[in-house]
Amino acid sequence: MRRTLPYDPRSQLAPRSGWVALLGRRTIYAWRGYRALWTTLSDALGSVKTPGESARTTARRIALAQIQFTGVQAVTLVSLIAIFIGATIIIQTNVLAPGTPADMLGKILVAVVPRELAPLITAIVVAGRSGTAIATEIGNMRANSEVLALASLGIDPPRFIVLPRIIATVVSVLVLTVYFSVVAILGGYVVSLFITSTSFGALRAGFAQALGPADLLLFLLKGVGLGAIVGWLSCHYGLQVKSSPTEVPQQASRAVMLSLFGCVAYNTLVTACFYWIVGAPIQGTGPF
Amino acid sequence: MSDAGISLREASFSYGDLPVLLETSLDVPRGSAFVVTGDNGVGKSTLLYVCAGLLPAASGHVLLDGHEPEPRRPSALFQSGVRCGFVFQNGGLLSNQSALSNVTLALSYHADILGLDADAIDRRARDALGEARVAQTDMHSLPAHLSFGVRKRIALARALALEPNFVFFDDPDTGLDATTLSLFHDILLRYRDDPAVTMVVATNHALLLRRLGVQPLELRGGELLDHND
Repeated sequence: MRRTLPYDPRSQLAPRSGWVALLGRRTIYAWRGYRALWTTLSDALGSVKTPGESARTTARRIALAQIQFTGVQAVTLVSLIAIFIGATIIIQTNVLAPGTPADMLGKILVAVVPRELAPLITAIVVAGRSGTAIATEIGNMRANSEVLALASLGIDPPRFIVLPRIIATVVSVLVLTVYFSVVAILGGYVVSLFITSTSFGALRAGFAQALGPADLLLFLLKGVGLGAIVGWLSCHYGLQVKSSPTEVPQQASRAVMLSLFGCVAYNTLVTACFYWIVGAPIQGTGPF
Repeated sequence: MSDAGISLREASFSYGDLPVLLETSLDVPRGSAFVVTGDNGVGKSTLLYVCAGLLPAASGHVLLDGHEPEPRRPSALFQSGVRCGFVFQNGGLLSNQSALSNVTLALSYHADILGLDADAIDRRARDALGEARVAQTDMHSLPAHLSFGVRKRIALARALALEPNFVFFDDPDTGLDATTLSLFHDILLRYRDDPAVTMVVATNHALLLRRLGVQPLELRGGELLDHND
């Protein structure tokens, strides 16, 4: 068979074979995928130690620009979603358990908004909005030989491309999660004024009882973890583009789908660990 | 430490199961020029990438000025004193940065190593763009808004600005008008005669081959063939 150059994706197609060979090939393929995934993260984290103050300044500038896009420009969307989520929780509580005391409403809001919905919905917004953009941008850079061009200039792609974007998504998710929580609780309070006789003082007392020091740790764990998952997977799948622009939307889609899956799985794991260690959020209910 | 500027020792490279280099050995002495020819798609660009340390050889060794490149950390090579100027076939410019930013980027990134402040970076970038005859009006344009020839001149300026000791030209004179072609040829001849610069050129153009006057090797079937032998 005459082989052609340059790279021909058809050459990657496996020949027909039995299920043992198929299983073996799939296993090797999956193993290579996980190893590449880990390499993307370890190279980015390892690049922190690479010397060069000017390079550090350049990476910082890229991270700030990415925070502007990922964090600041997402504020309006996050605000609207947070208001509606806060209002929905109060309406649902009022419908399912009419006459719920204000302090209990506060506890429910804390258990649902800052601990669960705020980190997860913020991460979903960031993955959908910025994860796609990051994977597409990096994928196009790969297809246009821009990543090779950076390397030819002595610029480390993990430091120039991956690290600033992971830092930016971590910072953005963390800050947007706090912002989401505040806006959702205020939105819920405003709605509760119309449908119940809740006073802000009683609601605040409920927050104070439900919020503890462990919540700060939970907030940090979720914000940093979810932000890192979105940034890491978006960069990784963007870098998986080989040479063709047709691969860009495929990898961008993969980046977002796996980011969403990773975020939901991570969120569930951290929540389970939190309630296992800290206990039930509302008196009278068990964690499991 | 090898005396060769660029040294390939039984280097192999393939895309999947498609071989491009088969245990290829090559020495390009420091300050000399090496020209590779070959049919379209035979892997000339890939050979240049491997020589420049941009793609890792699957087996064998590649040395630039005695240093082994780390494709995942190219800054290590720069810190060792290797300055590569690579002019890609399609320019390889960063599409979200202006012409000027494309040239200043590497200078800013390595400013501490090069000992440059902001003014010196700007001056050096503008000088390089001027030498590559990029008009002032094009300096703040994005690559997508510029013609192919201008993009290629910006890529040349980016390489010139680094004051490289290794230059790689991938099909340098394709799709250029007579003026730009002459500019590229003049700069290629200057680098060929510069004892401080090691040059690698991939081309099939008879005029350039004649002007360079360097005996080319042909890449065919993963091997470098010398038709003088």
